[in-house]
Amino acid sequence: MNSDPRIKETKDVELFRNDAQCVGEAFRRGATRREVINRLIAAGMSVAAAGTVASFAETAHAQTARRGGRIKVALSQTSTADTLDPARGLNPTDQSRHFMFYNGLTVLDETLSPQLALAEEITPSDRATMWHVKLRRDVRFHDGSPLTSADVVYSLRRHKDPAVGSGARSLAEPIQEITATGAHELRIRLSEPNADLPALLGLTGFLIVKDGTTDFRTANGTGPYKCAEFRPGVRSIAVRNNEYFKPSKPHLDEIELFGIADEPARVNALLSGDVHMINNVNPRSAQRIISTPNVSLFETKGGAYIDLVIRLDRAPGSNPDFVLAVKHMFNREQIRRAVYRNYAVIGNDQPIDPTNRFFDPTLPQRPYDPERARFHLQRSGFANQTFPIVVSPAAGNSEEMAQLLQQTALQIGCNFNLQRVPADGYWSNHWMKHPIGFGGTNGKPTADIQFSILFKSGAPYNESGWANERFDRLLVQARSETDDAKRREMYAEMQRLVHEGSGCCIPVFASNLDAHVRQLKGLVPIPTGGMMGYNFAENIWLDQ
Amino acid sequence: MSMVVVRLVLSRIAIAILTLGFVSVAVFVGTEILPGDVAEAILGQGATPEAVAGLRAALHLDQPAHIRYFLWLGGLLSGDPGRSLVNNLPVAELIASRLPNSLMLAAVTAVVCVPIALTLGILSAVWRGSLFDRAANFLTTSIVAVPEFLIATLAVIVFAVRLRWFPALSYAAGIISLDQFFRLFALPVFTLSCVLTAWMMRMTRAAMIDTLRSSYVEMAVLKGARPMRVVLTHALPNTIGPIANAVALSLSYLLGGAIIVEIVFNYPGLARLLVDAVSTRDMPLVQACVMIFCSAYLYLLMLADIAGILSNPRLRHR
Amino acid sequence: MSADQTITAVAAPALPRRRFRLPLAGIIGAGVVGFWVVIAIIGPYIVPHDVGALVDDDLFGRMRWALPLGSDYLGRDVLSRIIIGARYSIGVAAAATFLAVFMGGTLGMLAAVSRGAVDMALSRFFDALISIPSKMSALVVIAALGSSIPVLVGTVAVIYTPGAFRIWRALAVNVNALDFVEVARARGEGTGYLIREEILPNIAGPVLTDFGLRFVFAMLLLSGLSFLGLGVQPPNADWGSLVRENINGLADGALAVVMPAVAIASVTIGVNLVIDNLPGRWSSTGEH
Repeated sequence: MNSDPRIKETKDVELFRNDAQCVGEAFRRGATRREVINRLIAAGMSVAAAGTVASFAETAHAQTARRGGRIKVALSQTSTADTLDPARGLNPTDQSRHFMFYNGLTVLDETLSPQLALAEEITPSDRATMWHVKLRRDVRFHDGSPLTSADVVYSLRRHKDPAVGSGARSLAEPIQEITATGAHELRIRLSEPNADLPALLGLTGFLIVKDGTTDFRTANGTGPYKCAEFRPGVRSIAVRNNEYFKPSKPHLDEIELFGIADEPARVNALLSGDVHMINNVNPRSAQRIISTPNVSLFETKGGAYIDLVIRLDRAPGSNPDFVLAVKHMFNREQIRRAVYRNYAVIGNDQPIDPTNRFFDPTLPQRPYDPERARFHLQRSGFANQTFPIVVSPAAGNSEEMAQLLQQTALQIGCNFNLQRVPADGYWSNHWMKHPIGFGGTNGKPTADIQFSILFKSGAPYNESGWANERFDRLLVQARSETDDAKRREMYAEMQRLVHEGSGCCIPVFASNLDAHVRQLKGLVPIPTGGMMGYNFAENIWLDQ
Repeated sequence: MSMVVVRLVLSRIAIAILTLGFVSVAVFVGTEILPGDVAEAILGQGATPEAVAGLRAALHLDQPAHIRYFLWLGGLLSGDPGRSLVNNLPVAELIASRLPNSLMLAAVTAVVCVPIALTLGILSAVWRGSLFDRAANFLTTSIVAVPEFLIATLAVIVFAVRLRWFPALSYAAGIISLDQFFRLFALPVFTLSCVLTAWMMRMTRAAMIDTLRSSYVEMAVLKGARPMRVVLTHALPNTIGPIANAVALSLSYLLGGAIIVEIVFNYPGLARLLVDAVSTRDMPLVQACVMIFCSAYLYLLMLADIAGILSNPRLRHR
Repeated sequence: MSADQTITAVAAPALPRRRFRLPLAGIIGAGVVGFWVVIAIIGPYIVPHDVGALVDDDLFGRMRWALPLGSDYLGRDVLSRIIIGARYSIGVAAAATFLAVFMGGTLGMLAAVSRGAVDMALSRFFDALISIPSKMSALVVIAALGSSIPVLVGTVAVIYTPGAFRIWRALAVNVNALDFVEVARARGEGTGYLIREEILPNIAGPVLTDFGLRFVFAMLLLSGLSFLGLGVQPPNADWGSLVRENINGLADGALAVVMPAVAIASVTIGVNLVIDNLPGRWSSTGEH
C-alpha cells in the first residue's frame, strides 16, 4: 500500500482499479473482507460500492493464494525456555508461535495501523481514557468454547501479576481497570489518555488466552492453527484450524517450527532444502542467498536498532561535550556498508525511523566529522584517555560497530577498550549498567510506545538516563492529540530533543533479513519485526 | 573371578555416590555464582527490579540457597528430580525426551568408529615406522587439528547444500525407514567420527606398542610364532584393558561433548539441553544433566575395568 | 576430545644416555613450531596493517599484492590478523598448559608420595572434575566471568589439570615403588624432598612429552571454544575465533576462514611430529 486508505478520496472511477489492487494487497496481508469494507467506508466510499471493490479483490486474491501444503520454519532462537504463554514470549520464535495459536483484539498491518481482529469495535470516550470494546461473536477457542469478555479480561489482567513474569508488564502499566460489561463487551480504563491503545493491543504480549489458563504445555487459543505438538527447545507443530473465524484462512495445512541457533547452519538448512523459511540472516550471507536460485531474501526495514549507550548520570557521559564527540565519531556510512552490507538505513541518534509516519526528515543528519569530534573531545577534557565499551553478542553486531568506532576514535585521540561480555544475562546484568555500553530495541508499533518506554524521564528502559521536562510534557500532549498535523509537529520536536540531548547514539536502523524458498508467497514487510512482524503464519501460502 | 568383579562393582558404586554428591554441590555452587538467575532469564529485556522480585517469590527463589539445595536433594533421593524452573515441565520428562537421542547418536557413532579405529590402531602398531603407520598418523593428526565446527559446517556445505546427498538437519520424530535413518545420521556421525576415530586409533596404537614391547611377546616371537599370530593370540588379549578404557572415555565424550554437532545439525540431545539449562540458570535441569554425564562416565570406566579384569588371566584368578 | 583421556603411562625404560638426535620429520616439525613462535614474538612489528583497520571495501576480498591473504568479513587484512592471532593462540595455550601441568603435576606427585587418604581424596576430586564435559565447564565460566585472557588461561588450565594429575600420578607411583625411593623414605626424608630429589628427575622425560601433547590439546580446545563465544577481546582474535568469525565465507572458500585453520593445523602437526620423533628416553609410551 502506498498511501493510507483512510485519508484517500476514492470516488473516482479512475482510481477504482488501483484501489482494487490495494485492497487485493490487503487481503493478501490477511485483512478480512469485513475489515477491507470498513476501511473503504472509512475512506469515504458508499457501503454498496465498497462491497463491490472488496469482492473484486477477493476473487483476484483467491486465484493466487493456494490452499494446502506443509512447511518447516527455522528461527534463530530456541531453548527450554520456549513458551506458549503470550505474556512471556520475548523472542521471534515464541512470538511467531503465539501468532499461530492466538489472536489479539487488533492486529497491526504494514503501515502499523491497528486492524480489528477479535474485537468488532473499539471506541474511545472521555478523551481516550475510557475504551469500549465489542468482541466478535463468531469466535471459538480450539477446545470449542466461545470467546467471551471473561477471556479478554483474564488475558489483560494477567500482566499485573508478578508471578506470571510478563514481559509486557511495563506496556500494560497504563491499563488501570478492565471490566466486562456484557458477555461480549468490556471496558478498559487507562490512567491517562492514550489514542494508541488499539495499536498496543495488537502486540503479541496482549494476545488472548482462555479464561483461567495457567498450564501452557499446549495452546488453547482462537488462532489460525491448532497446536499439535509443542516441546520446548525442540519444536512445535501447528495444524490448520478449520473453524478459524477469518474466512479462507489460513492457507497452509501444517507448519513445523523449530530453532537453529547457528546462523551458517540455518542458512545451509534453507539452501539444502531442509527448511522453507529462516529468519535473522546475517547480512554477510545475503549475497549467497541472492545468488541461489529458488530462494529469496526478504528484507523488512523498520525501527529496530542497536545503539551505543552513554550513561549521562556518570563520567564521562555527564559531560555533554563527550557525548557529542562520540556521536560525531560514528562513521555511519562505514557501519552501514561494512557491518550491515547496506541492509540498514542511516540513523540520526533518535529512535523514530523512516518507516514511521511521524519520522521527521527535516532534522539535519549528524555527519561523521572527526574535526568536530576532536573539538568536543578537547573541550570535554577527556582527550587521550581510555574508556571501556561493553559489547556482547546479545546486542547484535555491537562488537563490529564498536570495533569500527574504536578505529575512528583512535585517529582523534580517544581510546576505547572493548570488553566483550557473554550473551547470557546481558540484558539484566550489563545493559544500562556501564558508563558506555550497547543497548537496543526491536521495532515498536508507535512513536508513543517507543518514546514512553525508552526515553521518558525515569522510564525503566531509559537507556542513557536522559531526563527532559519539555520532552515529557510533549509526550503526554501528543498522546491525546487527535490532530495529525499538530501531533506530527510535537513528535518532530521530540525527535530533535532526543537527537540533541540523549546519550543514545543510534548509528543505523538495521533491516530484518529473512529468507525463504521462492514458492512461499504472501510475505509483506511489517516494520515491527521480520517475517511480517512475526505474524506470517496466517498470511503465507505455498505455490504449486 | 566373580568375586573380583563383584568387589570392584561394589566399591565403584560407593565411589560413584560420593563423586555424584560432590559434583552436585559443585554444580549448585556454580549455578549460584553465575550472575543472574532464572527470573531474570525469563523476563529478559523486560526485567525491571519489581518484576524480578515478584517472579523470584513465585518460583521460591527467595529462600536461602542451602534450603533450596536440600529441597532439591530430598526430592532427588525420593526419586523426583524436580521441575524445570523455566517451563515447569518435570525434569524427568525433559531428560526422557533427549536421552534416547543422545544414546542413539553415541551408539551409531561407536558402531562406525570403534572397528575402524581399532583396526587402524592395531595395524599401525604392528607395522610401526612403516609408510602406512606414518600416513595414518599424519592423517589423523591433521583431522584432529581442524576445529569441529569447521568440519561440521564444511560437511553440510559439501554433502547437503552442493551434492544434496544428505539432509543438513538431523532431527526426525517417530519411526523412520532404514534408508532415512542412514541419511539423517550420516553427517553428524561423520563429524563426530573424524575426531573420535583419530583419538581412539592413537590410543589403541599406543597400548598395542606397549604390549608388543613386553617380555612375553618377545618370548613368543623368539619361539618363532608368526607376527599376525603373535598379535592376535598373545598381544591382543592383554591390550583389551587399555583399549576398553580408551573406548569408554571416547564414548563418554559422545554424550556431553557432542554439543557442537547437536547445535549445527539441530539434533535434540542432552548436551544442548544442558546448554539451555545453564543459560537460563535452570538449576534442577543443570543438575540432572550433569548427574547423567557424570554417571555415564563412571559407569563406562567401570565397564572398561571389568573388561580389563576379565581379559587378564592374572587378575581373573586372583 | 581432550587430555582427559589419559589412561596410563609407564615410564620408559631408562636407556643409556646418547646424543640427542631428531629424524628429518622431527626437524620439520620443530621448524614449523619455531617459525610460529618467532611470528608470535615479533608479530606486532611486522604486520602490514593494523589488526582492526578496514583496508578493503569488499568482504572476503580476493588475494592481491596489498592483501596477500585477502580480507575478512569486515574488510580487514587476514594476514595481519593471523600474525597477531599467533600470539594469542600459542601464548594462551602455552600459559594454560604450563599452569595445568604445574598444578596437576604437583598434586599428582603429592598424591603418589603421600598415598592413603590424600591420594584417595585427590583422585576422587579430579575424577569428578573430569566427568563434567569440558566444553560445559567452559560455558559456565564464560557465563560467570566473561571472556578475557586470564579467564581463558584459567579455564583451559582447570580443564587440563585432571589429565595432568592422572599421568603425573601414574608415573610417580611407578617410581615411588622403586627401591631407592623406599630407601630415602626409610631415611626419614620429607615429602618435599622425595618429590624434588627422587621422583621428579626420574620422570622428567615423559612429562616433558606430556607437556607438548597437552599444549596441542589446549590449542584445539581453544579453537573449539571459540564456537561457544570464548576468545580474546576484539579487535584481537585467536585463530579459532578467526575461523569462527569468518565462517560465512566458507561456502566461497574464503582464505579468511581457510588460513587460520591451516595455521592451527600446522602448529598441531608440528608439535606432534616433534613428539613422535623424540628418542625413546623422552617419550612416554602411553598416549593420551
